[in-house]
Amino acid sequence: MKTPIASKGFCGDEGTRRGDAAAKRAAAAIRERSANSQLISGSEILDLLNAEHLTPLDAGQDIHGFFTQLVDGHEDLHGLSGTGSLWYYSSDHMTEAYAKIMFHQQEGPLRLIAETVRQNASTYRKPVPLDIFTRPPFNLTHDQVLRSLATMTETESYGDIARTTTSASGIYLYCKTHLEADHAAMLAEWLDVGQFENP
Amino acid sequence: MSGYGGWAGKVLRVDLSTGRIWTEDTIERYKEFLGGTGIGYKVMWDEVPPGTKPYDPENRIVFATGPLAGTSAPSSGRTAITTLWPTCWPIPLVASGHMGGHFAAKLKYAGYDAVIIQGKADRPVWLMIADQKVEILDAHEIWGQGIRAATYAISEIMGRDAVVAAIGQAGENLVPMSNVMNDVSHSAGGIGSVMGSKKLKAIGVVGSGSIRIAGKKEDWGKFIKYHLSLLGASNQQVVPSSPQPWAEYYDPTTRWNASRGHRWGAAAHPVDTGICDPHDMNRIAYRSNTAAFFLGDGVWPHTVRGNGCSSCPIRCHTILKVPSVSAKYGIPAVGQNTCGGLKFGRAFFKKFPDGPRGMTELEACMVGMHLADDLGIWCNYGLLQRDFIKLYYDGVIKKKLGAREFASYSWSKYEKGDPAFLFELLPRIAAKEGELGTAMGLGTGYMLERWNLSEEEWGKDKALGYWKMGHGKHHSSEETGQCGLLINLMYNRDSQCHSHSNFTRNGLPLTLQKKLAAELWGAPEAVDGVGDYKPMHWSKARMAKWSLLRKELHDSLSLCNWMGPWVASPLRERGYRGDDSVESMLYRLATGDDKDREGLDAVAERIFLLHRALTIRGMGTREMRIRHDKIPEWVFSDKSGKPPYTKGTSHLDRNDVHLALDLFYEEMGWDKATGAPTDRTYRKFGLGGVADRLAERDLIPT
Repeated sequence: MKTPIASKGFCGDEGTRRGDAAAKRAAAAIRERSANSQLISGSEILDLLNAEHLTPLDAGQDIHGFFTQLVDGHEDLHGLSGTGSLWYYSSDHMTEAYAKIMFHQQEGPLRLIAETVRQNASTYRKPVPLDIFTRPPFNLTHDQVLRSLATMTETESYGDIARTTTSASGIYLYCKTHLEADHAAMLAEWLDVGQFENP
Repeated sequence: MSGYGGWAGKVLRVDLSTGRIWTEDTIERYKEFLGGTGIGYKVMWDEVPPGTKPYDPENRIVFATGPLAGTSAPSSGRTAITTLWPTCWPIPLVASGHMGGHFAAKLKYAGYDAVIIQGKADRPVWLMIADQKVEILDAHEIWGQGIRAATYAISEIMGRDAVVAAIGQAGENLVPMSNVMNDVSHSAGGIGSVMGSKKLKAIGVVGSGSIRIAGKKEDWGKFIKYHLSLLGASNQQVVPSSPQPWAEYYDPTTRWNASRGHRWGAAAHPVDTGICDPHDMNRIAYRSNTAAFFLGDGVWPHTVRGNGCSSCPIRCHTILKVPSVSAKYGIPAVGQNTCGGLKFGRAFFKKFPDGPRGMTELEACMVGMHLADDLGIWCNYGLLQRDFIKLYYDGVIKKKLGAREFASYSWSKYEKGDPAFLFELLPRIAAKEGELGTAMGLGTGYMLERWNLSEEEWGKDKALGYWKMGHGKHHSSEETGQCGLLINLMYNRDSQCHSHSNFTRNGLPLTLQKKLAAELWGAPEAVDGVGDYKPMHWSKARMAKWSLLRKELHDSLSLCNWMGPWVASPLRERGYRGDDSVESMLYRLATGDDKDREGLDAVAERIFLLHRALTIRGMGTREMRIRHDKIPEWVFSDKSGKPPYTKGTSHLDRNDVHLALDLFYEEMGWDKATGAPTDRTYRKFGLGGVADRLAERDLIPT
């Protein structure tokens, strides 16, 4: 259960009013963006608040505190953090699983592909057909996918990602941490060929 | 007529030998067998003596609906057609085919739960059913025509509201691999030639009545909305194939392929299928594009829309528009079908010039649908095409045909994957023309016999997917382990059961499937991951029994076993649970017969038992375990050479399969040594008379 936002962390009546207004506007912006199936970054929210003269902080105050309280005070709001910006979404419009895909999308094709493959392997114990990355919501170009694969093979931190090719020339990726090579190959063949012979 | 709702109340009887037409009271004669296959098996048991052949006038063709046909119950458009099966090898036994479309509902509105055809006309005829007016009419003008021409000709006579179930030239010519089809693309395989043997070209139906619902209108409406809320996409797959904002899970291999950016591109005004939130009841029909599932994303621009059966929001038939086929092959640019029918043409080819899922493959589908759905050729669940590929590439066709006949085919076109080859092959199958046309039209068992090929060898080839008795696997051990194996053993054709595979393919992670399985079948061990099979467990036998009973229940109520059961749902707030009482709730509300889930399951078991009894009587032996429930060799082999139950393999262990049979027979109340139901089991399900008749022939286990 999250704690209500109230005016915790803001000083004085003016600070409280400003903080409440800013939190309200920020929450609306997150929900609006989530309704369009997208995340919004912390910096985008601040830009928006500044543009509308709702800057939530006085000079020298901690912006992280504002976002922490924002998320804690609203049951549906959640933040995702990685190596770059902080990103936010509303679970009224988007599941955590989808938000994570959107988040990895912000981190670039390489990470998007790798994390998707890892997630599929851990949740489903299945390899992933390469062509899903050119479809919505991934929307990578064929070149982006191929370049990412080439980079992966040369990068140690992606050493757990492997590929297998089916008899119908379908390329599938899998995570070696969760799937053995033979099992991945058999599953890829089933998914790409076998299941279509059993309609 | 009783006070029951659901049923129309009468069964129409037609004797084509005498021209006699009469009716029976459905409730009085058939209520304890519900409808559909229940009525079919009952009629076959009571009226068709053992030793009868499919084309004998004494054989019956039972077109039967169930008490939910013609109501607004979701996916209630099925007609079961039961008869002696002409492709069942080495002796024809009872089996059923199933068609969707609008025939079932229309027959009910005309006042009939079933039409039972017997005898043989002395000239080609068609049957006109217009409410109480039923006539046997001369068909000489449409005999020799394809299904489409026959359908249009009868519709001209009966009006645009008519539903016509017709056979093509294949059925007329007594080609065993033939079907009957209504609404242009909804077929039931295997029985076209039985209609042909009776000289019955078609049945046309118009009906102006309605079906009474016994329950309160508001209760019915509320339950229908509840049932709709549990629906997934085609084949009750409850997880989308791509990430969606509302979805916790996605599985790239499900048939829920709607998504932003996936558009019905050939619609007059292209439609984006969108995110399809499962709570949006008005977008259920957008969830699946069957053609895109089978043929890839290149199909979306050619998609007009989905089409389907009465009262079914899952439109599993895809209407396609492919203008290039008009120019190249002189056929209409628009065609429609689903699954095996959709793939009919492409499945003959090993490869295409532009690779898999390219334009040529799509064109082969269009040509195949155009020809097969007019000539009325059945694919035997794809085994026809797999046989053909093997026979050609193994050199058998060349060996078996005379040089002149072999040269009359354009084999270079075939090898290149040119759809034009289908114009050479399919009409000759329908006409029984030449050695190849004749042999391919026989069905696998009789083709092997004709060409002196070994059934045992056929059963060793895993890719071929031959199962037994002339038919192929249908969701068997390769995808559902021991459960699929047990189900595939039971029938006299491919099993057509989807209760199990619709669960294991529903798209939920295995951990969730196991959780639901424990609730449904008593233990999480009931389901395994594909290629990660585990040894037999009692819960797998229980799941197999449940799957079979749900199939028979669906086939007898007119529900679609391709779309149900509904024991999983896309609803996160329900923990993805569906409801195992959907069928009994619909039945109670529609009919007013106060049977709960267990009560209705007992009826399903009675129906399934009667099928087993018919098989035992037909074969003249109670030794089902060794003579009927036979397993092809490929089930036990894997090219890796690894032991069974090693990850990445799908073969089973022989001793473990023996245990599976023991546990299954025990679950069914059948004798373990013979696999035949015991006297006690027959009597428990109200089939004492059946047990007595079998005992007279020494067909009850001692």
